[in-house]
Order: sequence, then C-alpha cells, then structure tokens
Amino acid sequence: MSLESLNEILNKINTIKITHKHKRRIRVDVKADSLTTLLELIKGQASFLHLSAITCVDWIEDNQFELVYHVWSYEENCLISAHTRIDRDDAKFVTVYDLYKPADFFERDIYEMYGVFFIGSPRMEKFILTEWFGMPPMRKDFDSEAYVQETFNWTEYNPDWLQELSDQGGGIAIKPEDIRLSGTLHNKATHREREKAKKEHVVGKGWKS
Amino acid sequence: MRPENYQAVPLGDSNEYEIFIGPNHPGIEGNYALKLILDGDTVVKGTTDAGYLHRGFEKLMEGRLWIQNLAIVPRICVPDPAPMEVSYSLAVEEIMGIDAPIRAQWIRVLQLELSRIAAHLFTFGGHAATTGMYTPMYWGVADRDLVLDLFEDFTGGRVYSIYNIPGGVRRELPEGFLEKLSHLLDYLESRQNDYDNLLFTNQIFVQRAKGVGVLSKEDALEYGVTGPNLRACGLAFDVRRDDPYLIYDQLEFDIPTQQKGDAWSRILVRRDELFQSIHILRQVIAKLPSIKGPIRTAIPNPLSWNVPAGEAYARVESSKGELAYYVVSDGGDKPYRVHVRGPSSMHAVQTLEFLAKGARIEDVAQIMFSLDACPPEVDR
Repeated sequence: MSLESLNEILNKINTIKITHKHKRRIRVDVKADSLTTLLELIKGQASFLHLSAITCVDWIEDNQFELVYHVWSYEENCLISAHTRIDRDDAKFVTVYDLYKPADFFERDIYEMYGVFFIGSPRMEKFILTEWFGMPPMRKDFDSEAYVQETFNWTEYNPDWLQELSDQGGGIAIKPEDIRLSGTLHNKATHREREKAKKEHVVGKGWKS
Repeated sequence: MRPENYQAVPLGDSNEYEIFIGPNHPGIEGNYALKLILDGDTVVKGTTDAGYLHRGFEKLMEGRLWIQNLAIVPRICVPDPAPMEVSYSLAVEEIMGIDAPIRAQWIRVLQLELSRIAAHLFTFGGHAATTGMYTPMYWGVADRDLVLDLFEDFTGGRVYSIYNIPGGVRRELPEGFLEKLSHLLDYLESRQNDYDNLLFTNQIFVQRAKGVGVLSKEDALEYGVTGPNLRACGLAFDVRRDDPYLIYDQLEFDIPTQQKGDAWSRILVRRDELFQSIHILRQVIAKLPSIKGPIRTAIPNPLSWNVPAGEAYARVESSKGELAYYVVSDGGDKPYRVHVRGPSSMHAVQTLEFLAKGARIEDVAQIMFSLDACPPEVDR
C-alpha cells in the first residue's frame, strides 16, 4: 500500500491531524469519539494488526488525559500513534478489546494506575496493586514522596556494633536528618547546603584504614 | 494478602479444585504466580497473578533527572537489561533530535547481542529444568557467566551495566577486548555439539516439549505475541530488520523461524538466534577497528539538562520480543511520562492464560518457561 492510499484512508476521518514524524512513524490526532472508527479503518483496510501499546498521559494543567494507541502494521512496516484526549474529571472511554485483544492488559493497567474506566473492557478490576485502595498512583496529583513521609516514620538505626565501628573511625553512621530521598529533594538543596552537610558529616570516614 | 491459599481448595460439588502455583514454586519463572482451576490434572482455567515485583518505576522516573533514570531502566528486566538502556536512550535522542556517533552505535549493537546471548543461555537452562533436566541449567548459567565477565570488562557492571547514555556510550572498549570476545565466540560455537546432544536432540526433552503449548499464527497475532514466540509460529518478524534502529540495516543476519508454534519450536528458534547473534558479533569484530571517532556527542551538564518538549516511541528487539519506550517531555529536566512496553506483558498474562487452558498440570511450568516471560516487565 502506498503512502497516498494510507493517507486517503486516514482522511476519511473528519478533523484528523496527520504528522509524518519519519519514514515509519505517523502521528495522528483525533477527537475521542472518532478514535475507534479510526482503529477499525486502519485495521480493516490497511492491515494494522498489532496493537503495540496503549499509553495514558496525565496533562493535569489542561485537566485532560491523553490516550495514545500505538498500532503497527506487519505489511507496511509502519507505526501509527493515534492520540486523543479525554476529560480528566469524567475519566471514561470505550474499550477497543473487540478490535485488539492485547487492549485487555493495557486498559486494566491504565484503569489501575490512572483511574480511567474503559466501558466494555472484560476485566476492569485490580491487577498489580491488589492491596491498594487510595488514589490511582500514576496521576500527577498523587505525591508519592508526601505519601511516604506521612505513612512511614524515619527510625534511627544505630546498633552497638555500628557505634563501635564509628568510634574507631569507620562505619556508615547516618543520622535521620541526613537522609534525603534522591531526586526531587536532593535537587532542591542548594550547593551551599550540600557542602555544609558534607563538612558536618563525612560518610564512611576512614573506611579503608 | 497473597498468595490467597496454600492448599488445594475444592470448588463446590464439582470435581474442580483451585490451586495456586508460585511465586516460590520451583517450576515457576520468578515473581509471578498462576491461579489454576483444575479438573483432575487438566487445567480448566488459569489466571495470572502479577504484582509481586511492582516497584513503581514509571512513577519514579517522573521524579528523577533524565540521566538519573538510566540507573532505573535496566532493572526492569534482570536477564536482559541492555535493550532497556538502549531503548530509553534512543527515545531521548529522538526527542532531542540527535544521533549517537557511528562508533557508539556499533558498540551498542555489540552490547545488545552479547546480552541476547546471555539471556538465551539462561532460558535454555530454565526451560530444560521445568522438564526435570538440570544439567543444561548448570551449563547455561556457567556459560552465561563468561558473557558477564566480558560485560564487567567493558562496562564495569556484570548484570546492570548502565553503559548507555542519550548521545552515546560512556566508555571506550578496553585494550584487547575484541580478541577476548572472539575467543568467547569460538568457545560458544565449540559448545554447539554438546548442547545439541544434551538438550536440543535429546529424545527425553524432545518428547516432553513437542506439542506442548501450541500457539497458531493467528492466535499469536491476535494476542500481540512478538519475538521468538512469534517466529516459532512461522512469521518472520524482527524489529531489527523491519523497523531498523542503530546500524542493524548494515548487518547481515537471518531470522530463524519454525512452523509448529509449540514449546519445542520456541526453544529451537532461540537456539538458532543465539548463533545468529554470534554471526552478528563476528561482523562487529571485523568492522569495529576501522570505525574511528567519538563515542558520544556533547550533551549539556546532566544536572541542568532540559530535553525539549516532544514525544518518541522507540522500539528495539530484546531477547523476549518487541520492547518499546514511550517517552514524553514537557521541556523540563525530568521526563513527563515514561511508558515501558515490555514484551512479557503480553506473553505472561493473556497468552499464558490462553495456553494454560486445557493443558495438563505437569506442562504448565514448561509452557510458562517456553514463553520466556520476564515478570518485572509486567509489574514495572
């Protein structure tokens, strides 16, 4: 199938925006209500048989979820990424399980991690996080660091043997106030703060001697 | 709490009962379990229970700098970590609009193919062990260790090498490395006869593996099966050839296929693939010394490194199948979203449930292993 005929099929959808990123990647942006029609068209008429993945992206500032369907054609050797956006407050979408069976896994994953309910999907139930009943954790407004600070207490770990080691000038005595979650917190610390912390407390001092 | 039960639970007045195999069952692949409803010793229904290894990597990656994430990505699949690094790096490079230098691309191919050999050796042993043959397991792990020695030599890490960065690779190959690699390939080829006699033509194994877990081509396509499992059904698809990345389009290699789609075909495809990887590595050894130049492009200071807004879907062929990273950037110093499409997420859940139905209980472990699923790719 040539590129023209593929474009012709894609253009059957009104309000479609096609971007050719490179030779084997096509990005299309469609409205939510025409997404299943698009997938039906490219599967039926252009042999896009392989649903590679469904991704959900939380655009919290726009109050929207973006759903991305990556579909590959074994005959054309081309990947279409179909992007669509749904309302974040009313997070519901229709399943594509009857078109692509792998959608079962991805939709269940998105339901669990983002709370998007897929109407008609066969297994809208817990899968990985069976013991979790809070907010879907991959949403941007779930702050995992705050959750850790609230739920778990830092405890001072300073057993006798470690104390003895420290007295001899070795060991890894770390005070709770020195513990920082890597990443966000650490990056916020200014250079001066870090240097100060280093001077006050040398980790592993005299380790080799 | 899981597992939900430790004993077989009879279901009502029927002859059926429910058992739970895994995650610590000797015949299971690792950190996932299978809930089976049995009638006699025939499986009526199997349900995958995943999540024992969920570490929230996708969420963690949103809170870390672009470069810090390289310490996370290889941990998503322990037996075959190199494709994870390469895939993540390729996605970031695509967003930034840069390419790794040619020499770095060849070194990446070297790393990827070595990793594939290590992963396949691991799988041979595991698969054989599910049929009660433990010798291939010891051989496979011992030979894999020789590959890991080479990894230690040129990356510094035996399992998680953290060798790639967006824009290239971190270190130049050490002096005399290619000779060492060449010796290892000679050794692996010399082992071909031993492995064939012990495993691949061994009637005890062949009789156990033939006709078990048969997946037709149509079913494989329907369930999104990729990689060696798909090629064992007769469809010659390989991301390296059909959606080429790095310099795979300059290399010569065959795509081994089998027609039957059973456990036996799947292990044969892996066997042939291992020798194709050796063939690729020989081409790399011949070509690499003549390719001079830098091993990475200049990237900004990693601590204040902003990747321009954009998105990319980078696919590579791992030893398990099609692996893809979907990375979204909003122009900040951290990724906005990273989605990992592990091939095993298809194999370990829906395909396994489909194949377990109607199988006998003694074959379930073998079906699981023949699909070569890597549970952390499901959990992430």
